[in-house]
Amino acid sequence: MKLIIGGACQGKLAYAKETYHITDGWADGRSCSREELKDCRGVHHFHEYIRRMAAGEPAENLPDLERRASKFACALLRENPELVIVSNELGYGIVPVEKADRLWRELTGRVCTSLAAHADEVVRVVCGIGIRIK
Amino acid sequence: MFHVITGGSGSGKSEYAENLVLSAGEGERIYIATMIPYGEEGRQRVERHRKLRAQKRFRTVECYTGLENADIPPGGIVLLECMSNLTANEMYEPDGAHERTAEAILRGVDRLRARAKHLFVVTNEVFSDGLAYDEETMRYIACLGAVNCALAQRADAVTEVVYGIPVKVK
Repeated sequence: MKLIIGGACQGKLAYAKETYHITDGWADGRSCSREELKDCRGVHHFHEYIRRMAAGEPAENLPDLERRASKFACALLRENPELVIVSNELGYGIVPVEKADRLWRELTGRVCTSLAAHADEVVRVVCGIGIRIK
Repeated sequence: MFHVITGGSGSGKSEYAENLVLSAGEGERIYIATMIPYGEEGRQRVERHRKLRAQKRFRTVECYTGLENADIPPGGIVLLECMSNLTANEMYEPDGAHERTAEAILRGVDRLRARAKHLFVVTNEVFSDGLAYDEETMRYIACLGAVNCALAQRADAVTEVVYGIPVKVK
């Protein structure tokens, strides 16, 4: 698994397409199903998938959220070990006012941290340039 | 030499960039200021920065829009700060480039690169709080992101400053 992170509008998807030679077979986290994640080659807007996941079944508390994050990350790694994941890096700003936003941000962080721990490669994209951090 | 310096708000990127200029050797030091000093707070901010730079022998040239027409002598060591202001000015000021903001800015930067001995451009990371803003703000974020990517592509070096620590991007 490869994890590509960075801020919004940084050219992360373009970087991933070029670096891993994946022109098609991308799932869009804003609309894709859980099933699509099992056999797509890459997923972008992954943080938006997590937003939908969090909205569908809000975590009851932080331990519950951490459990779910870890379970989801492990399932993804097992089902689709070659997946390329492109996600916005959240959490570099003010704590959101809305509870749902706070939980989503936290869940994205926890999921990506679990994925990064097991990923073959983690790349952070800044100004269109990828820096391999793992 | 074209060097892009980025970082979050309050990261120490301005000071880092100024020090790069000071160690860039001989040549007239020119500071291109892009922030329109709105109100008393803005004026004080600008005044403070101006004093700090005067000690470092910078000449300040104000440029709020139309970078490609800025009166910059050739051969200088130029520091432009900050791309986030220039982008906002071009998008929203009456005499700005509006929907052609990115192209106008890049034309200006290309002209500066050709004229200056060394060019340092400070920009801003505003992309990582994860919140969805109104359409207009998203348009601004996308425009600044595109400008940053295009600058980085042209640059000889790109540095992200994290709380005063320079992290090499390129």
